[in-house]
Order: sequence, then structure tokens, then C-alpha cells
Amino acid sequence: MKTSILAAWAIAATAVALPAQADKLDDIIASGTLRCAVVLDFPPMGSRDAQNNPIGFDVDYCNDLAAALGVTAEVVETTFPERIPALMSGNVDVAVASTSDTLERARTVGFTIPYYSFENAVVANEKVEMSDWEGMKGKVVGATAGTYEAIWLEGKVKEWGEGEFRPYQNQADVFLALSQGQLDATVSTVEVAEANVKSGNFPGIKIVDKAPMVPDYVALITLREEYGLINYMNLFINQQVRTGRYAELYKKWVGEGEPADLTIKGVYR
Amino acid sequence: MFNYNFRWGQALNSLPQMLEGALVTMEIAILSMAVGIVVAIVLTVFRLSGRRLLAAVATTWVEIARNTPALFQIYMVHFGLGSFGIHLSPYLSLLIGITFNNAGYLAENFRGALKAIPDTQARAARSLGMSAGQAFGSVVMPQMLRISFLPMTNQMVWAILMTSLGAVVAMNTDLYGVTSELNARTFRTFEFFAMAAVIFYLITKVITLTARLLAARLFRY
Repeated sequence: MKTSILAAWAIAATAVALPAQADKLDDIIASGTLRCAVVLDFPPMGSRDAQNNPIGFDVDYCNDLAAALGVTAEVVETTFPERIPALMSGNVDVAVASTSDTLERARTVGFTIPYYSFENAVVANEKVEMSDWEGMKGKVVGATAGTYEAIWLEGKVKEWGEGEFRPYQNQADVFLALSQGQLDATVSTVEVAEANVKSGNFPGIKIVDKAPMVPDYVALITLREEYGLINYMNLFINQQVRTGRYAELYKKWVGEGEPADLTIKGVYR
Repeated sequence: MFNYNFRWGQALNSLPQMLEGALVTMEIAILSMAVGIVVAIVLTVFRLSGRRLLAAVATTWVEIARNTPALFQIYMVHFGLGSFGIHLSPYLSLLIGITFNNAGYLAENFRGALKAIPDTQARAARSLGMSAGQAFGSVVMPQMLRISFLPMTNQMVWAILMTSLGAVVAMNTDLYGVTSELNARTFRTFEFFAMAAVIFYLITKVITLTARLLAARLFRY
């Protein structure tokens, strides 16, 4: 008798205690703000203008997503390594931060379909004899720590068994080291390589070759269990391409030419 | 709200790699302390020498080492010297940067310790026929090292924690470097950094305890 009363109480208490299940998508719409983590030392995807306002492809992408949701966008600057803590601690809702969708990372966070794709170039110091990407073998090479190209390049150096790999903290330090001759070569996205050669901020560097990597597809990320939000963002990315906004943003931030094809031939998703 | 499920498996599997990194961290800290102590003694002698130029060199060193961030010092060793065509590996840049910092702080510790040793001791040693060098080397300096022993262990702990700044000069074999690379690959940020923090804590604990035991043995009256 006593136990059954207790059990009844327990069931009633659980029913009251369980909150109505609102997921992150609901929370964003209810709060009226979409908070995006964006990396702002990664032009042309993210940087700051002369008035210190965030600008770039990723910034616009965040604004578009917010507009689609009918909320205001809030750009939260993070570095590449800070993206995940920012998500996990609830400081941001999504990261629009050129995040490469590796399978190893997908064990931890939730990826959408790709929204952009990078090709990578080998950039070398002018004083170094190098005619193609294999010339990096045995040299001192480096890249921005934690990026897709850094992971690839370090793997190559290990495979070659000679030379040295150095991960610098940001893109600017990589090119400073390259310009000073501390690095013989680096691998970076074609966009960044061309911008840096053109700007003249880093004298004495040259683009050597394309890096023979699988294209670096990048996706939006959020918490792994937020299927509602991931579904919404997948459709959003599809619509960005469908409506021509993707091509428009490419032209605005990267330049003339065709933006990368985001579909993979012969397979769904 | 903190919304995260800890999964320790991957991090625990990488423990051997992180411990290897911890060895490199300890190696750098120990080397930087050993060289730092020698340099600090030289700087102290410079200051005592009464020669204006030498004293100025020592004072400048101490002022820069104590009044600028260690991060800046390490960065300058790598990129500052690099702009003059002097290229040091990440390992050497970090080691030299920390040694520079250690030497500055230790020289200041030694100066404080010297103030606690009465002048009369050096004079008594001289009156026994010792040279100035002998008086410093065999009477004043041992006491100086004894008095500043605990501040020195403090600096040693600081040296260990400073190795994490090697990231700015592309150091990737020390404990912090290994950890941040594992993090970039797997995105298991909290697990990896929590483990790194525990390892750092254990290293510094072991060092302070060892130092205390050593002090008890070395400095018995």
C-alpha cells in the first residue's frame, strides 16, 4: 500500500518536473537572436573593416541565416580552437567559421552539409628552389595550427620522415615566418595565398603549386544532438545555392569566377 | 548553460602522447632554470662589480625580463631575431625566452637575498685574507642561494607553466602543443585540456615537494 502511494507520487512528480522539450531551433527563434562564432583573422571569410566592424563571407552568411530565421544576428569573434568551447558553453548557437568536416571531428560536434569549399596552394619563400608541391619534402614547412591543411601537411611530413612541421597560431604568423625565411613553404587556401601575395605585406613569397588534397569542404557546426537546427541549416544552405546568393557572396568576397561545386558526383549528401 | 557530455575514452587513449609532451615540458623547464641560475649569478656579480657598464647591462636585462609579458619575450626571440635573419627553432626560441625571463627574476631574488646578508660577513672574510672573489664565492653566495631557494622553486613552477606559451612560436612537442593538436583533430576540447591541467598540476606539485625535501636536507643547521 505504502509503496504504491510512493510510486504514484514519484510518477506525478516526474511528470511535473519534465519541461516541455524545446530544442535549440526553438530557443533561437524565441530569444530573437542568433549568435554565431566567426573567426575574424581569416580573410576573406572573416575579418574586420577600418571601423573594426566584422566583415567577410562568413559574417554575411551568419546574417543571412539570422534573416531566414527572422531574428537578429550577433557575431561572436573566436579563434579556430575556441569554436568548440564557445558552442559547448552555450556562448554561441552555431559556428559559421569555415570548419572542415572531418569524420574525426564529427564524432564530437554536429556538421551540416558543406557551405563552401577551399582549394589549397603551396606557397614558398622565393629563395627556396621549389617547382611543385613535392619540393616540400625535407624542408621546414608550417601552417595555421588546427586547420585542415595543417593536419594534412603534418601527416605528409610524418609520411616523408624528413623535414620539420611547425604549426603557428594564426595565418599572419605563418606568412611572417615564411617571409622571414624561417619557413621554406606553407600550405594555405588559394584565397589566402593570393590575397597575401597581392597585398605585399609579406615580401619574398611565391605561389608554387596546388596542394594535392581532397578539397577542403567546410560546414556549419552546432551541438551534435540538435537535429532540428541541423536540418534547418541544411535546407538553408541548399536555398543559398538555389537562389544564387552563394554565387553572389563568392563574387563579393572572393572575386570573379565560379564558386566551388558543393555536390559530390555519384553520391547523395 | 553548459551543455556537454564528457567522453573520456579518446583522451585517455592519447595519454601516452601527452605524457611524452610532459617530458619535453619538464626538460625545457629544467634546462631554462639551470642556465637561468648561472646567468642570474653573473648578472648579480655585474651589479656588485661597481662598473657602470656591466651594472647597466644587468639592470636593463632585469627590467625588461620583469616588466614585459613572457609571451612577448618568447615571441621576440623567434620573430624579432628572425627579422634580422637569425632563425631559431621553436624549441630553442622557447628555451631562450624562458631562460631570459628566469634569469631576470632570479637576479632580482638574489639581490633581495644579498640584502639579508650582513656586510660584515664579506668584510670578515676579506680580513681573513680572502680575495673579493673568494669572499663572494665561498661566503656570500652559498648564503644567497640558501635564502633564495624557495623563491627559486617558485620560479621553477612558473617556468613549467610558461612552456605553454611555446604555442606562439609553433612549438608542438611540449605538453600544451601536443594537447592543442589533439584538440584540433578531435574537437574533444574539454577532456584534453582538463587532462593537461591535471598533468601540469601534478608536475608542479612533485617539483615543490622535491624542493622542500631537498631544502630540508641541504640547509640543515
